[in-house]
Amino acid sequence: MQNNSLSKILIILMILTGIAGIVLWSASYFIGIIFIAAALVLYYFYKRSAEGGESAGAWAKGFIKTLYIPVFGIIAAIILGGIIMIITGNDPVVAYKALFYGGFVRSWHISILNAVPLIFTGLSVAFAFQAGLFNIGAEGQFYIGSMMATWLGLRLGMPPVFSIFIIFIVSGLAAAAYNIVPAALKVKTGAHEVITTMMLAHVARHLSPIFIRGNGGDPASSTHAYVTDDILENNFLPIFKDFLPNANYRLHVGILIAIAVAVLVYYILYYTRIGFEVRAVGQNPNAARAQGISIGKNIMIALLFAGFLSGLAGVNQVVGLDHKMFQNLSAGYGWNGISVAILASNNPIGVIFTSILWGALDAGGQYMTRTTQIPNSIVEIIKGIILFLIVARYIYTYFGNRMKKRRIDRKIKEAV
Amino acid sequence: MEVLAQIFNTELLVATIRLSTPITLAAVGATICERSGVVNIAMEGMMIVGAFTGLIGAMFTGDPWLGLLFAVLAGGVFSLLHAFATVSLHLEHVVSGAVLNILAFGIVRYMMVMIFGHPGTTDPIRFSLKNYQWAIPGLSKIPVLGPIFFNQTPIIYFSFLLIIFFTFFLKKTKLGLHIKAAGEHPLALETIGVSVYKMRYTGVFISGMMAGLAGAYLSIENAVSFTEGMSSGRGFIAMAAMISGGWTPIGAFIASLFFGFADALQVRLQVALELSIPEELFIILPYVLTVVAVAGLVRKSRAPKADGVDFMIERPE
Amino acid sequence: MKKARIIALVLLIMLVAFGFTSCKKEEAAPAPAPEEKEAALPGDGMIAAMATDVGGLGDKSFNDGAYGGLKMAEELLGTEARVVQSKQQTDYVPNLSGLAEDGADVVFAVGFLMDQAVNEAAANNPDTLFAGIDIWSNDASPENFMGIVFNEHEAGYLAGIVAGLMTKEYASASDKLNDENKIGVVLGMFIPPVEKYEVGFIAGARSVNPDIEVLSATAGDFVDQAKGKELALAMIEQGADIIFHAAGLTGLGAINACKEEGVLAIGVDVDQNSTAPDTVLTSAEKKIVQATYLAVESVIDGSFKGGTRVFDINDDAVGISSFHSFDSVVPQAVKDAVDSAIADMKSGKVTVPTTRAEIGL
Repeated sequence: MQNNSLSKILIILMILTGIAGIVLWSASYFIGIIFIAAALVLYYFYKRSAEGGESAGAWAKGFIKTLYIPVFGIIAAIILGGIIMIITGNDPVVAYKALFYGGFVRSWHISILNAVPLIFTGLSVAFAFQAGLFNIGAEGQFYIGSMMATWLGLRLGMPPVFSIFIIFIVSGLAAAAYNIVPAALKVKTGAHEVITTMMLAHVARHLSPIFIRGNGGDPASSTHAYVTDDILENNFLPIFKDFLPNANYRLHVGILIAIAVAVLVYYILYYTRIGFEVRAVGQNPNAARAQGISIGKNIMIALLFAGFLSGLAGVNQVVGLDHKMFQNLSAGYGWNGISVAILASNNPIGVIFTSILWGALDAGGQYMTRTTQIPNSIVEIIKGIILFLIVARYIYTYFGNRMKKRRIDRKIKEAV
Repeated sequence: MEVLAQIFNTELLVATIRLSTPITLAAVGATICERSGVVNIAMEGMMIVGAFTGLIGAMFTGDPWLGLLFAVLAGGVFSLLHAFATVSLHLEHVVSGAVLNILAFGIVRYMMVMIFGHPGTTDPIRFSLKNYQWAIPGLSKIPVLGPIFFNQTPIIYFSFLLIIFFTFFLKKTKLGLHIKAAGEHPLALETIGVSVYKMRYTGVFISGMMAGLAGAYLSIENAVSFTEGMSSGRGFIAMAAMISGGWTPIGAFIASLFFGFADALQVRLQVALELSIPEELFIILPYVLTVVAVAGLVRKSRAPKADGVDFMIERPE
Repeated sequence: MKKARIIALVLLIMLVAFGFTSCKKEEAAPAPAPEEKEAALPGDGMIAAMATDVGGLGDKSFNDGAYGGLKMAEELLGTEARVVQSKQQTDYVPNLSGLAEDGADVVFAVGFLMDQAVNEAAANNPDTLFAGIDIWSNDASPENFMGIVFNEHEAGYLAGIVAGLMTKEYASASDKLNDENKIGVVLGMFIPPVEKYEVGFIAGARSVNPDIEVLSATAGDFVDQAKGKELALAMIEQGADIIFHAAGLTGLGAINACKEEGVLAIGVDVDQNSTAPDTVLTSAEKKIVQATYLAVESVIDGSFKGGTRVFDINDDAVGISSFHSFDSVVPQAVKDAVDSAIADMKSGKVTVPTTRAEIGL
């Protein structure tokens, strides 16, 4: 009975949000998409309850339970950030209003643009983590990928679909090849990948100026030493504005590629033999070896594939956004990729959402400074606190146990 | 020949010491930390915190020695977060380290804006620890060795003393042996009634103080102002030094000297040779040598058995 | 229980630290109550805004310089100064457009990395004026965009003349100079303004002292003071007695090295004498503060127009700063040589090279 009335409510809600979503779509794609997605979710619940399986309420409860810690972490970080702002003489209400308005409403397309490279580097770090490896040098592979993409982009004159595909694959492979040294050293000598990939990241960053000067066109031009020429136009990634007239003209389809790659990585990790072996090595190398899984081979696979994914981030920035390469192209995407991967517990699908959260915090932080002049480094602090409170799950058990113990102690005392 | 004499001389070795000192300090700190069983990749962040606090202390008290104290304390206190996360909260060590690096840079940047109105760089201080350079009478007159070891600034002397101290500490003192045991056989240590948690907290705290000292070297001894990002990856190079040094203070020192030497050599080659090859190829030299060194030396060294391994125990308090 | 105490201690220290910063801030800003202005300033009610590049404020170079110009305009013209610091490249366009949409009358893009972004923003906000520091306007640039560029090589040239003469002919003028006939230049990263400074400096030094040896080295970084110091020390050890730096914050380390070793330094971009008054002989300046101020003024009086405005020696917008305490040390002949070089450049008798290729490097 109860299920029946619930399904009625659900279907009404679904129709309402669906209509609202379609109406809003014409004005703002972003909010429209959210509503339409909400309608789809409601439809899913409706179908579940109509089929009479596990009740929608119970399922939702289970799902929401998994969100407890992330939501609590974010809220707590916001409160802590607010306290810091109050102490330092800024108004947190004003700041947060600007931060969220900027990140999710006003500059949402910037949030997406920020998120795209983070998704790739985040996936890279996450994949390596799944194999128990820490690919801290994603930044370097990013540079290799972007250099290769620029080099090809300046030369490939094929039809767009082909040449972009080739650029993505070849540049990704180049970045993967850059990780052969750390991978081989790890397998052969056990040299820690944290050190080797990190050092090679510095090397790649310092090599990029040489590449840029080599491809900077006219040495007499005013920007010769700093930027390369623009890549050929047929190698530009399509922008949404080409087929959605309301979209921001800078928003390119990189986000779709990123999501597709994330799903692919998820599939590889959880539904293929390779993924199974990689995870097995990551969870318990000795057990994996006992099962006849080659540790060395999987370390190779994990690090090379991680390099490939980071390289795609660089490709994406070149063919999607900047259409050229310059010194310091990467705004720390490699390092931030570590955060989003950690925050997503190395789940490829989770990386999409954490990257968007990070991108939105960055974009909103800019909007906040612009309108309120509150320093946006507060956003970095909030990010750090969010990370800490979500990653350190045990913190809740820890304080829970302490409280329990104190209660018991008190009871004992009373009894005595 | 003349060029060679310009590059390879005593000054090269003095520069080696200058460039390697921050790495040495951080590497020795990281060694103690890892001997206690906690991996610490937050050295970079702790160095930045130390460098910043050191300068702030020196600037507002007018005394670089107080700045040094502030730096060491700030590094230590900040490292307790790492200890709390890894030991008490059983968080993956690498994850906690990465988080703390982010947090450190955020906090320092925010404080910069709050205190100076802008990020980037601070105003210079008037007296730095460089003003306390001391040539040890007699010893500093020894050719070659004199200028290298006996005519230096305070933190460089400290670093020499600390290397000796920590070597002794790990080998001979009870606390040192317990710290080593926490990183090798935590359960065995616990069964003889010593708290592994306490030992690991101590190890991390020591590494934080050492990183703070390394930061202070950068901001108030080698320079007179603080610049965001002035640690430039030295915290990570220190990790490399620790590993190639085989997790011993002396080894870490020798490996740091090697990296310092590579950097000093790179600088001298750039200045002395007038070749038409890009400068960047010189700049990457230390990084490439680090990879080579790690590749070549790591086989001989062995990490503490329980390094990075979580230890959980229910203990009546 | 002990752990709880430690945690409490950590929190307490953090709290004290933050409280400290807030107190400090209040002290530093003694309530700048909006003064009653006697006469209305011409720019009252107008907003002049800027977006920094990723380097951000505190770079002691163009970002700080442009901000200084806006502050000067705020004081003298009454315009409101707004600033936003970009964190990554994706921020450039939204920051510039956003400032325009929030009512700024003129928006400054600072640093030539914002080249493409400022052109885009200007095209999308035709009612707002845009100016780009260190950015060239091109054929496709919209009418409401003005590029502001400097001839850094001319400033470098003058600094080179001073260094070239002081290190040899007038080495007796200061006990900080030796008779090695060597000078040095420390570079941050090899980018166009840096290259122009370096090339101008070398050309200037050679023009008055043909057999001078100029040592040059790159740090690969604009923030690593220790590296800058080490480069300078290596040069000093080779006998260089005047060191010019075009290395941003890395260069602060170079100046510090000169100070410790008792040789002379030449600053860059802004007058850096205050960093080390007894060491910084002069600075190769580009007057970003004034250029920014002039641009704001041109917005107010309506003379703002598109295209590229090159600030060069003819505007006295590039040059070397005063010698401060070295004024009595530097011989009149050197000052005369500088003046005649300025005259030669103004009359077109001398053209200063801008790329390494031109001076055979």
